[in-house]
Formats: sequence, C-alpha cells, structure tokens
Amino acid sequence: MSGTKDEDRKASSEWREFFWNPRTHELMGRTASSWGLILLFYLVFYLFLAGMFVLTMYIMLLTLDDYKPTWQDRLATPGMMIRPKGDQLEISFSVSDTESWDGFIQNLNTFLSPYNDSYQVQTNDNCPPDQYFIQEDSGEVRNNPKRSCQFNRTMLEDCSGISDRFYGYNRGQPCVLIKLNRVIGMLPGKDGQSPYVTCGAKREDSDKIGPLAYFPPNGTFNLMYYPYYGKKAQVNYTQPLVAVKFLNASLNTDINVECKINSNTLAEGSERDKFAGRVSFKLRINDK
Amino acid sequence: MGYGRSDSYRVATTQDKDDRSPKKKKGGTKDMDDLKKEVPITEHKMSIEEVCRKFQTDIVQGLTNAKAAEFLIRDGPNALTPPPTTPEWVKFCRQLFGGFSVLLWIGAILCFLAYAIQAATEDDPAGDNLYLGIVLTAVVIITGCFSYFQEAKSSKIMESFKNMVPQQALVIREGEKVQINAEEVVAGDMIEVKGGDRIPADIRVVSAHGCKVDNSSLTGESEPQSRSPDCTHDNPLETRNVAFFSTNCVEGTARGIVICTGDRTVMGRIATLTSGLETGKTPIAKEIEHFIHIITGVAVFLGITFFILAIVLGYTWLEAVIFLIGIIVANVPEGLLATVTVCLTLTAKRMAKKNCLVKNLEAVETLGSTSTICSDKTGTLTQNRMTVAHMWFDNQIHEADTTEDQSGASFDKSSVTWLSLARIAGLCNRAQFKAGQDALPILKRDVAGDASESALLKCIELSCGSVRLTRDKNKKVAEIPFNSTNKYQLSVHETEDPNDNRYLLVMKGAPERILDRCSTIMIQGKDQPMDEELKEAFQNAYMELGGLGERVLGFCHMLLPEDQYPKGFAFDTEDVNFQTDNLCFVGLMSMIDPPRAAVPDAVGKCRSAGIKVIMVTGDHPITAKAIAKGVGIISEGNETVEDIAARLNIPVSQVNPRDAKACVIHGTDLKDLSQDQMDDILRNHTEIVFARTSPQQKLIIVEGCQRLGAIVAVTGDGVNDSPALKKADIGVAMGISGSDVSKQAADMILLDDNFASIVTGVEEGRLIFDNLKKSIAYTLTSNIPEITPFLFFIIVNIPLPLGTITILCIDLGTDMVPAISLAYEMAESDIMKRQPRNPFRDKLVNERLISIAYGQIGMIQALGGFFSYFVILAENGFLPSFLVGIRLNWDDRAVNDLEDSYGQQWTYEQRKIVEFTCHTAFFVSIVVVQWADVIICKTRRNSVFQQGMKNKILIFGLFEETALAAFLSYCPGMDVALRMYPLKPTWWFCAFPYSFLIFVYDEVRKLLLRRNPGGWVERETYY
Repeated sequence: MSGTKDEDRKASSEWREFFWNPRTHELMGRTASSWGLILLFYLVFYLFLAGMFVLTMYIMLLTLDDYKPTWQDRLATPGMMIRPKGDQLEISFSVSDTESWDGFIQNLNTFLSPYNDSYQVQTNDNCPPDQYFIQEDSGEVRNNPKRSCQFNRTMLEDCSGISDRFYGYNRGQPCVLIKLNRVIGMLPGKDGQSPYVTCGAKREDSDKIGPLAYFPPNGTFNLMYYPYYGKKAQVNYTQPLVAVKFLNASLNTDINVECKINSNTLAEGSERDKFAGRVSFKLRINDK
Repeated sequence: MGYGRSDSYRVATTQDKDDRSPKKKKGGTKDMDDLKKEVPITEHKMSIEEVCRKFQTDIVQGLTNAKAAEFLIRDGPNALTPPPTTPEWVKFCRQLFGGFSVLLWIGAILCFLAYAIQAATEDDPAGDNLYLGIVLTAVVIITGCFSYFQEAKSSKIMESFKNMVPQQALVIREGEKVQINAEEVVAGDMIEVKGGDRIPADIRVVSAHGCKVDNSSLTGESEPQSRSPDCTHDNPLETRNVAFFSTNCVEGTARGIVICTGDRTVMGRIATLTSGLETGKTPIAKEIEHFIHIITGVAVFLGITFFILAIVLGYTWLEAVIFLIGIIVANVPEGLLATVTVCLTLTAKRMAKKNCLVKNLEAVETLGSTSTICSDKTGTLTQNRMTVAHMWFDNQIHEADTTEDQSGASFDKSSVTWLSLARIAGLCNRAQFKAGQDALPILKRDVAGDASESALLKCIELSCGSVRLTRDKNKKVAEIPFNSTNKYQLSVHETEDPNDNRYLLVMKGAPERILDRCSTIMIQGKDQPMDEELKEAFQNAYMELGGLGERVLGFCHMLLPEDQYPKGFAFDTEDVNFQTDNLCFVGLMSMIDPPRAAVPDAVGKCRSAGIKVIMVTGDHPITAKAIAKGVGIISEGNETVEDIAARLNIPVSQVNPRDAKACVIHGTDLKDLSQDQMDDILRNHTEIVFARTSPQQKLIIVEGCQRLGAIVAVTGDGVNDSPALKKADIGVAMGISGSDVSKQAADMILLDDNFASIVTGVEEGRLIFDNLKKSIAYTLTSNIPEITPFLFFIIVNIPLPLGTITILCIDLGTDMVPAISLAYEMAESDIMKRQPRNPFRDKLVNERLISIAYGQIGMIQALGGFFSYFVILAENGFLPSFLVGIRLNWDDRAVNDLEDSYGQQWTYEQRKIVEFTCHTAFFVSIVVVQWADVIICKTRRNSVFQQGMKNKILIFGLFEETALAAFLSYCPGMDVALRMYPLKPTWWFCAFPYSFLIFVYDEVRKLLLRRNPGGWVERETYY
C-alpha cells in the first residue's frame, strides 16, 4: 500500500520538478534563455513563412483578372432559385392566416424594391429586346462602367406587388419569382430566341398543380439582359425575373413543383445537381 | 500493492488456469522463486535399496503394471507441459484494439452516432458520416488483420522446430522388458538405456557399463560424462549416478530407477521456469507505446479543445461531433503502425537471409539497442567439437591447426617423434569414422567414439593420412580400455614390418600416470633416458597446456622384446601378463573445443559498437578463461585479480579488485554474492567470464545486468540457457545445435550457429531504429497539413480545405510506400562505431522529432496545401478575402445562389464540386510537399548529396505516390466514389515552391548541424 503512495508522490514530485525545477531554474525542462531562443526561432521562422505565403498569394492574385474569373467550367449550367425563400425551399401557408404568408410578402417586397420602375429608369437603359446587349472592350481600354438594361417591376404584372400588394397569397393564388443565376459572359440563347421557364408538378402531383400564369409573358428571360459582365464592370446589373402564378392549385396538399429553363444553348444540368438549370420547391396552400 | 495478502494461499492452490488476476501472479511469483533455487534431488545420496523402497519398486522385477498405472494417474504423463499460449482470438483482439485503433474506433462510433442522429432528425440524411464510419471501421479491421497475420507468420516459424517423433523407452515391469512410449514412464520404473538413446526421465543409475551421457544441453560441458552407480558429488547435477531427462546417452549401457518424470525433472523444472518467466516489453514496443501516447495525447487534447470551442462558437452538437471526428482522423497516422510492421518484417527477412531468424518481429530492433551480450560458450563461441590444439614432442610445443577450414598454420611434420606420436594416437584409439562418408571433408565426418578420441582420429587422419590403413597394417592383438582407476588405455599391435615379429605396445592416458610408467623419452626419434631436466620440461609443458584450458593426454610406446614376447604370445588383458612400465614417452597432445574462426572478429566489432560481451558458461573456469582470451572477451593485456596476484606474487586478497578489468567468476562464488556485490562486479569489470554456472545463476546474471539498465541479449543453445534466453531482452538460440526448449524460449535463432551473425543482427537492428525514426518523421509531418484545415474551418469559417476521405487517402495511400521505402535507407555513418542507444534518453520519437515534423516541416506543408486551396477558389471566383465567414451559407443546401467575388451565383452542388476539387488539390499538394519530405527524411545529419539517391524503392515510392494521386484525381468515377475531381495541370505546381522550400530549409539545417556539432541546431532539431 505504502509503496504505491510513495510511488505516486515520487511521480507527482517528478512532475512538479519537470514543470518547475527550482535548482536549475527550468520551466518544463528548459531554462529561460532556452525558452527565449526557441520561441524567438519559431517567431522568426513563422514570420518568414507568413512572408513567403503572402508573397505567393500576392503573385497568385496578380495573375487573376479583375473582371472575369480564370475558370467558369463549373458554371456551364446556371443555377436557378426562387423567391420568396424560407429556410427550406418550401412555400407553405394558410390563406386565412395572414401571419403565415406575411413573411413571404415582406421578402418579395424587399427583393423587388430595386426593380421599381422609377429606380430602373433612373439607372438603366431601355435596350432593344430579343438581342444581346454586347458592350465589348476595345483592346486594353475598358469600356467601363458598362450599362445595364431595365427590368421594370411592372413587367411582372399581377406578380409585381403593385396591383395586388399581397402577390395573390391572400387568395390562394401565390406568385413565385424565379431567377437564373448570374454567370459572367453567359449567352443563354441563340437566333434571337430567349430562354424561358416552364413549371410543372413532379411525380403524381400533376393533377394538383392547376393552371399557371407566367410574367413576363411566356416566362422568358429576355436576351437583352445578357451577357453579364460581372459586378465590377456592370455595377447596376438587374437580374431578369420570371414570375409564376399558381391560379388554381389544390388546397391542403403538398405539391412538388419543378421549374426548368428551356434554352437552345445551355447544357442540361447534371443529375446530381438539383438546382442547375432547374429549381424544385414544395408548395402547400391551406384554406384555413 | 493492494491485493489481499491472505488470499494468496488460497489462490495458489486453485487450478483455475485462465485466472489472470494479480492475486494469481503473486502465487506465481512464489513458485518462481522456488524454481530459481537449485535442484532438490536427494536420491543420489541414498542407497539403491532406499531408492527402491521410496518408489515401491523392485530392482529386478521393476514396478508392477498396476503400480505403474497408479503412478501414471498420480503424476501425469512423463512429458513437459507445453508453455501456455495466448488464444488466437485474444491475439487478434489485441491487434484490433491496440495502438491507435481505440481512437479510430471512437471516430467510427461517433460517425455512426452522427449518422443515427441525422437519420432520426432529417428526412434525407447525407450518407457522408455513415460512409466515413464504415471506412474507418474497415481501416481498423484491415490494419488489425494485417498486423495479426504478420505476427502469426513469424510465430509459425516455430512450429517447424517441433519434434513430432514419439520417444520410446525400455522399461522393466513385472520382470519383463517392454518397449513403451516415453510419456508412460513413471517414477519407480526400472529402465535401460544404451548408446544413442535419449534418456526418458531423470534416473538414478543402478548399474552401468561404460555409460557416458552428453550433458551439454543441461550443463554446458562439452565432453560426455561417464555414469556409474556411485555417488561422487553432493550436487545432483555433478554426481555420476544420476542421468537426466532428455540428455543423450552417447555410449555404453546403463540401468536405473526413474526418480522424476515430466515437469518435475531437472529439465522440466528449467522448462517450467522458462515458460513462467514474465518477459518485459521489447524496447521497440516501449518506444512505439511512448509514441502512441504522445500522438494520442495530442489528438485527444486538440479534439476536446475544439469540441468545446465549437460549442462555445455556437455550433450544434452534431457539428461539434463531426469536427471531433475530423480532428481524430487527421491526427491519427492510420497507416503508421502498418508501416512499422512492414519495416520490421522487411528487416526480419533481410536478417533471415543472413541466417538470423527472428521469431518475434519486435525483436528485430532489440539487438540494435543491446548493450550487453551474455554469451554461452559451448557451440556459440566454440565449434562444439574437441580438436587437437597443441602437441608437445621433442621438448617443444607445437601448435595444431584448429580452424574450421584448416586455414591455420601447420607444424613441422617431418620429425620421427611426430610419426611415432601419430602412430600411437591412431592405434591406441577406439574411435572410427562412420561408414559411407569418404566424400566429406575429414572434419565434417561423423565419428563413433568419444570426443577426445575423435579429435585425435581427425587430427591424425588430417596430417598423416588414413588411420584405418595404419590400423590394418598394425593388427591389434590386445587392448585394455580406459578406466578411471588406471587412467590409461593401452593396446598391443603387430608391427608394420612383416619381418619384425616384435609387438608394439602403445599407451595413452593422463600425462602424469603415463610419465610414471616411462623410463625413457623420445627426442628427435632417439630414445633418451628420462632425466630430471626432461621431467621438468614435461611438467612445464603440461602446466602450460593445462593452463590454456586444454585437456592433455600423454602418449608412450614400447616395442616389446621378441625374446620375452614371441609371436603368438597370449596377451592377457585381465591379468596383465606383460610389461606396462619402463616405456618410452613420446609426447603430449592437448585438446580443446576451439573458438569459431569468426568469433574474435565479431567480439571485436561488438566492443567497438559499445557492447559488453560477457561469457556465461557451465564449463570449467580455466577452459572458459582460455576461450575468453582466445576470442577476445578477455582482451590481450587485461588481467584478472588472480593474474595480478600471480604476477606480483602476492595473495589474491591484497589485490585491489579495481585494478583488474577482467574477472572470472565461479558459479559457487556467485551463489554467495549479494545483490550489491553482483552489481558491483557487473559495473566495475568490463570483461567478465562466469564459469560453472547453473541455469538459475544464468538467470540471475541476466537480471543483474538488466537491473543496471542494460538491454541484455543472451545467446545459448542448451536447455540450461533457456531461462536466461527467455528473461533476456532478446534471447538468441542456435539453430543447429540448439535444443528445442532453447529455441522455444528465444526470440531469434541463428541458423548457422555463428556468433558473428549477431553482429549482423546488431547492425540491422540499429539501422532499422534509425530508419523507423525517419519513417515516423516522414509520416507525422503530414499530420499538420491534415489538421490545420479543420482548425481553420472551425475558427475562421472558410469552406473545408481538406476532407476526411482525402486524409485517409494520404495516410493509407500515398504516404505508405515512401514511408516503407525509408526502411531500405542505407546507414548514414558507421553505426557499428557508436555506443548502443540509451533506452532512457534516446527515444524513437522525441520532442525534437515532433518539433521538426509538426512545428517546422509540417507548417510549410500546410501552407503549401492552403496555397493551392486559395488558388483554386480564387481562380473559380472566390477570392481569399471573401472566404472568411462564408461557411454558413456555403454549407447550406438551400442556398443555391451564393454570390462569389465577381458577382456570379453558385448552386450548392456547383460550389461543393469546387470545394472537393480543393480537397483534391490540397491532397495533391501534400503529395508534392511529401516528395521533398521523403528526400529530407532520408538523412538525419548528412546532406542528400552525400547520401545519394541510391534507394531504388524510395524512387519507386516517389513515382508510385504521384501516380496514385493522379489516378485518384483523374480516374473517371472518382467524383462519385471518393469525391475527388480532376485538377487543372497548373494546380499541381502550386505547392512546388513550398516543396522546394522544405528541401532548402532542411539542407541548410543539416549543414548547420554538421558545421556546429553539439550546437543549438543539433540540440533543438537533431532527432
């Protein structure tokens, strides 16, 4: 018994000695000057490494273009997104319960505020439709800032929130805005054909979805909004939108909706990416 | 020491074999102490009648069958209990749950737990955690199986040594001789043995006819010992009337009463003592354990710190657990233990090629750290065959050639005296070559006859041609064989010359007895009267040869006068009717079991390698000392206390023992030494010889050396060596002459029985220790670039730079071959010129290695990895400044329009592909910086330019890891299987500057190291 205790005491005193040895003035097995030297070494060494890292990073950043990223191959098929957007891609509300859709209305109002006609007219051009709005740089001379085309809120008609400030949510005819992700230099259509959005129900929900209305008409993203020149060159770029209005969706049931972009240039997205060239969301309208 | 004292007695009597509680051990210790005492046999001092009475047997009739059956049931079969073996599944589990496995198991369990939580709370849980959990489990099981099979393979070697032939014994039961299985022999049986038999049990000899037994495996005496019914010594091991279990009867016949069987025999006690000895961990096992402790400590510390940090930073429990898994996976060098095993296996194979067979993989390194070798004499240092070493004739000592290959010097063979001497030695000799060996060299031929006669036979055959021819020409007419009262052997022959009808009487025997019978002496072929001067010369020669530890025989002859002994004279050997004195003395021949040719050189090498070589033998001190001097264990010019006393002509007690570097200690003195005295001897004498030691004393010597902190290697072949072999840090048994018990107890077997192979073992062991350091330094370095991504991921919220799967790809994929290839690295300097490592100071993994691997090279590597990470993200549109804090949106599946620095928007999957591409690039960068790392790890002190790139395996490893990295990146389907994506060619070059920096940095460090030996750089960075 006593042996163990002695051993314990010995071990702990050894430990204490290791931590601070009063004879040799060693803290954790090193004297002050030894600690000082090793810490100084590591300080200098790490400063040098940091310097080297900063240098390589600086050189790397020098090789980058300010207006266009080096690689865009991962963005061949642009993603699509909806508004309003909750935590999940789920639009679920009760017609009679104002609180349940109030958030969506707020979200849409905020999202659409830069699309107000007054603002658009002030900052952007009125471009000729159905053709690309190309603004080439002439060699080294940048043609900046580049101009953008107007996308007026009124173009969304029933879904603009102007005529119907509840976007149809109070009547069980909700509007959902669909946007195509911005990709620099992307040309989404050729031969003057603008890409357009079509929505449909997934799986067995096709009978529940009811008729849909698209704004602007046919759900097109007009070609004049392309190509995008990046946020540095094209500061006031306005992303075009397509609004989908569910006119008579079934109540009290989950409807899985998928909207797709239809374009004659964009590649079909991969099977793994559920948001490339398409967007899926769940719609549920309760009557109470 | 908390176990109840009162329990020990009860436990000692219980027979629960599986009970491995400490209490049992205590009972065991008591038994062990008992076994360590000397043999308690007393039967040799009893009269035969008493022995018969004790065993209820009859000297003529033997036991009755009923009694025999009863005794068999009481005592059990006459066989050694095989040493307890660990069940295979226990060994397997040890591999499965030892080392880092526990940490990985924790990681795997956490993975499953995380997945279970996810499955319970989310609709569509991501399979990542389940996948990772399965991978981790697979990793643990596969590495476990791998180590298990490696171990099993080396332990299988042993099975080939098992002797399966059942032994037979001839017993007398109920008055009839029956041949029974040796296992059925019981105490009290009357048994008969004859030349060639193995003695089936310990027997008290009742009657014997020229019986000689070979006790060498028990006592180390190289000469056969004669057995007779008389008690000649109090010590049962030395008395003539006991023959021991498993020793061999060389010639003659004997009859005796079995007094002990099975484990109670002397041999059995030694075997039990051996198998009961607790052997400590091998030095390398201790080192690896120490290193696992360090790594585990770091892993647990980091894991827990960041777990708490994650919780404090507001991550969810699940996220914190996933971080924990990542940190564990990054911290544990999964492939390292397998690498170590492979390195050891490779060395074991290399050693096997050089005739060192390693039974226990870890023992590979032990020889390298050995600081003391306790070597048995017979068979290890010596050739284990008597050989004529010196001759004295014409009043001059001549040296015979004792080397194995007859490369030594020869002597003048023209003297007539020599021819006479050779004739006597050839004629007065009963040994003869066994038939059918004419093709073999003389020294390799088997001889029927005792050791010294064989030695004479071979010596004469070598120098004078066929002995058989001489014998045919000189027909033997009469013969008196050697007996212990006469101490001579004589025979009478016809002469070669058919016209000469005289008879030739030849005689050999103990020199002083022979001299007494001589009145003349042959000098240069002429008979001269034996005067005082010549007698004195004889005495001097005899003393000198005896002092060399050699067995001396005198030879004389006489041509019997024809008038007294005409042709056809009937020589009566019973009642000697012819002249046996006034003979003519011819010369002396002395024999010794000579040292092996390679041994002195090997001992010298051990010396220069800082290893103390101690001889421990059962043989006589004089012989032992002579051999020790012969092989350099006692080096030239070093004296023992006795030598000093003799030189100064003062009593031994007046010599200061400190003046003598060498000492020869007799077993009986050893018995009386206290532990302190023993330590004193071992500490203060550099050259020690222990003679006449018992197996138990050998064990005490080994323990004494170990007490002084030495790592002890023991070499031996006999059963008597086996306890010491087992207790030693590494036991080395002899493959050819070694007994099964010794092989069982040893960790290593010298297939050619050559001590010199030990030097190879030491060299290989030291090399592998150095190379393991390099290998570990290499492997540990990549831990830093594996951990830092996680830390930055948690602290600054950037997208994860390196995933767990890619970490496993590094640890178990690309790092493996280069790490193993370092085991093939050549030594940097002459490793046989430095001192053995000090197990307390020279650790396998020390703080300097960690400082270099983690603090310096690892950091550069991490920067290289991060650099390529930032390059890829920046080139895809996410500039570094933009990344900090992006993690929350980045990892949100619902955010599919995340904006980058250029205003582009990314879906979850799109940016994840970029992230996984970053993982791949980080992985490739680690491979690139590991190129430089493996090159700098080739050497610890020298420049690579001094060392060269001769290691082909390493070059192969460089290409292999690169090819593997390219395969993992570019092989179609990898995006789904491992989520690794093809890299743009330029991304391979991101880490090149860092790789180059590593190389330059370490070359500069090593340059400073070489320039200032003992300087700050060495103290802080030389691992």
